[in-house]
Amino acid sequence: MAASTFCFALSPLSKIKCNVNIIYTLNKRTAFSGGLSKIKGVEKQVAALPERSSQGPRRPRREAGEPRTERMSVDQDWTAVYPTAKSFKQNAVPLPVRMGYPVKRGVPPEKKGNLELIKIPNFLHLTPVSIKKHCEALKPFCTEWPNALDSDAKCEEHFPIQVQSKDFVSAGPSLRNPKARIITLTVKLSSLNLDDHARKKMIKLSGERYNKESDTLTITTESCPLRQQNYDYALYLLTVLYHESWKMEEWEKEKTRADMEEYVWEDSPSQKNILETLLRMHAVEKCEEDGGVQKELLGRPEVEEYKDSVTKLKNEGENECNIQQYKDAVKKLLNI
Amino acid sequence: MVPSKETESMFHTEQQVGQYYTIPSAQLKKAFPNGLPRRFQMQIKTFNEACVMVRQPGLELISYLKRADYAKPALRYILFGEVGCGKTMSLCHTLHFCSTQGWLVLHVPDAHLWVKNCKELLPSSSRPTRLDQPIEASQWLKNFKITNEHFLSKQIKTTRRYIWTKRESTEEGRPLGEMVDHGMSRVKSSSDVVGALLRELRLQAGGATEDAFRLAVAVDGVNALWGKTSLKKEDKSPVSPDDLTLIHNLKKMLRNDWCGGAILTTLSQTGSLFKPRSAYLPTELLGEEGFDNMDPFVPIPVSNYSDKEFESCYLYYMDRNWLQHPHSRTEEGRKELLFLSSRNPSILERLCSFL
Repeated sequence: MAASTFCFALSPLSKIKCNVNIIYTLNKRTAFSGGLSKIKGVEKQVAALPERSSQGPRRPRREAGEPRTERMSVDQDWTAVYPTAKSFKQNAVPLPVRMGYPVKRGVPPEKKGNLELIKIPNFLHLTPVSIKKHCEALKPFCTEWPNALDSDAKCEEHFPIQVQSKDFVSAGPSLRNPKARIITLTVKLSSLNLDDHARKKMIKLSGERYNKESDTLTITTESCPLRQQNYDYALYLLTVLYHESWKMEEWEKEKTRADMEEYVWEDSPSQKNILETLLRMHAVEKCEEDGGVQKELLGRPEVEEYKDSVTKLKNEGENECNIQQYKDAVKKLLNI
Repeated sequence: MVPSKETESMFHTEQQVGQYYTIPSAQLKKAFPNGLPRRFQMQIKTFNEACVMVRQPGLELISYLKRADYAKPALRYILFGEVGCGKTMSLCHTLHFCSTQGWLVLHVPDAHLWVKNCKELLPSSSRPTRLDQPIEASQWLKNFKITNEHFLSKQIKTTRRYIWTKRESTEEGRPLGEMVDHGMSRVKSSSDVVGALLRELRLQAGGATEDAFRLAVAVDGVNALWGKTSLKKEDKSPVSPDDLTLIHNLKKMLRNDWCGGAILTTLSQTGSLFKPRSAYLPTELLGEEGFDNMDPFVPIPVSNYSDKEFESCYLYYMDRNWLQHPHSRTEEGRKELLFLSSRNPSILERLCSFL
C-alpha cells in the first residue's frame, strides 16, 4: 500500500537530479510519524528507497472495530460460529486463552495476535452440540439396532466372528491410505465346533495368533492390496484352519509326551513310580502279585488324590498351596 | 527365652522350638567331618561350642523318621526353601539324631561340589563312557570312614568279589572297611569303590538279622544331580551328570527300591549352576527329570525365623557377647536387625558378625 504510492510519487521526480541527494540525506534523518517534507513547494512523501521501516500509510488506517466476541450472547449457537474446521480466530472465540512461553517475570502472551494458537489444530468445530447435530443429520440414513441383541453375550453368541478394519481421513493430496487395507478377524474357539483333538491341533497350527487367557484366535491379514481381498483371505484362512484341524493325519499318531500341551498322568513316569512304590510296599505285606492288583491300586482314593495334586503341580506351575496339597497326598499314600 | 541346653535330640518336642541345644564336640567331629555349613563351622570355632536351634522343619522330619516303617521301601524327603533359611542346618540336626540312634549315615555334604571345578577327570576303568573323579571320591571316602568307623570295621561284609584292576580285588566276605581303605589308598579306583560301597549298603540295610542297621542317605544340593555340569571333556564337549560315575551311583541310591532307611535331601540354589537366584521351589530347581525321578517325595518347606526363633537367636548372640556394638543391645537395635535381615537366618548371622 504505502510502497506503491512511493513509486508512483517518485517517477516524475526521478528526472530532478539535483534533488536526489537532498532527498537521500533527508531520508535518513526524517522520522516517519506523518512526516511530509516539502521540497521546492512540492508536497510529496519522503522517497521509498530501501529503508528499514515503513512510513505511515497514505490511506487513513481503518480502526479495528469491536471484536465479535463482545456481541456474543451466552446461549448463542456455537455451531454457527465454527461450522467447519477453521484456524483459531481470536476475535471469534470468547475465551481468554493464553499460549506461549511466558515473558520474563510475566505470563504467557494473550490470544490477540498469537501465532501459537493459530498454528495448532483446534476442535472448536466438534463440540458435543455440533456432534449431536451431525448425528441427527445422519439418522435418516441409518437403520435401527435389532432389539433382540440387547446384551454383549447375545451378540457374541449370534455373531462370534468379529472383523475390524480401519478407515483413515486426512487432508492431503490423496485420499488413499495404505493402512486402510488391514483386516483383523477375532473369533473365540469355544464358539467353534471342535472336539478335543481338533482344538489342540488348531491351537498348534495358529501358534502366536492364539491367546490362551481369552481363548481368542486373531487373524490379521494385510498381504493383499485391497480391503475386500484381505477380508476374503481372512475368512478363507479360518475355514482352512477349521477343516484341517478336524482331519487326522497318519503321522499324528507318533505324538510323544514332549509334544503334549498339558500334563497327562496316565503313562507318566510319576504313575510308574507310584505303582512301583506301592507294589513294593504291598509285596512286603503279602507275597503275591497280580495283574489285577495294579488296577486296584490305581483305583484307590489316595492314588486319585495324588494324581490330582501332581497334575495340578505340573499344569498350573508351583506355588505354596500346590506343594502343600502334594505333600498331604504323598503322606496319605505312603502312610506317614 | 533362655536358650536351653538339651543334648538329646531324641527328646526334642514341639515345646522346644526356638531353643538351642549343644552337640558335644566328640560327637561333632565324628558325625560331621565336613557336613556343616562353612559359616557355622567358623561360629563353632569362635564360640567353642556347637549350638543348633531346634526348629519346626527339623522336628517334623525327625517325627517322620520316628514313625516310619522300616520294612517298607525308603521314603524320600526334600527340604526346600529360600536361600539362607536353614535347610542345611535342619538336615544336620536330623543327621545328628540319626547318628545318636545308631544309624549308618551316608552324608554327601554338597552334591554341587561333584559337578563343578573338578581338577582331574579320568576316564573310568570299569566303563569306558564314564568319567571318574578320584579326588572327590577319595575325600568323601575319608569322611565316610570317620563318620561310620564302627560299622565298617565290624559288621558289614561284602557280598561278592570286586575286581578293581588286573591285580587288585576285594574278596567276598571281607569287611567293608577294607574296601574303603583300598579306595583311599588307590586313588584311581576310588570312584568305583564308592559305587561298590553304595551297592553293598543298599543290599544290606534293614535286614532282618540282629546286626541290621538303618541307613540314612543325606544329600545336600540334590538338584545338582539333574542339572548341568560345568565340566568339559577333553574335546571340549560338555559333560552331563550321568557321565560321572559318582553321580550315577548316587542316583541309584536315591531310588526307593531298597528298604530299611530314609533318604533325606535338600535343594540348594547357592551352589547350583545356571539357576536364577530366586528359584527355590522343587520343580524349578530339580527340573522335570529330577522331579520325575524323586517322585513320590515328601516336600518339607523351611522358612525364615518366626518371632520366637528370632528372639532366641538374638538372645543367644547377646549371651555369647557376640553383639559388641552398644546400639545393637537396645530395643531399637533389635528392631533394626529384625528389619534388615527380614528374619532370614543367614543374613542375620552375617549382619551380627559385623557388630
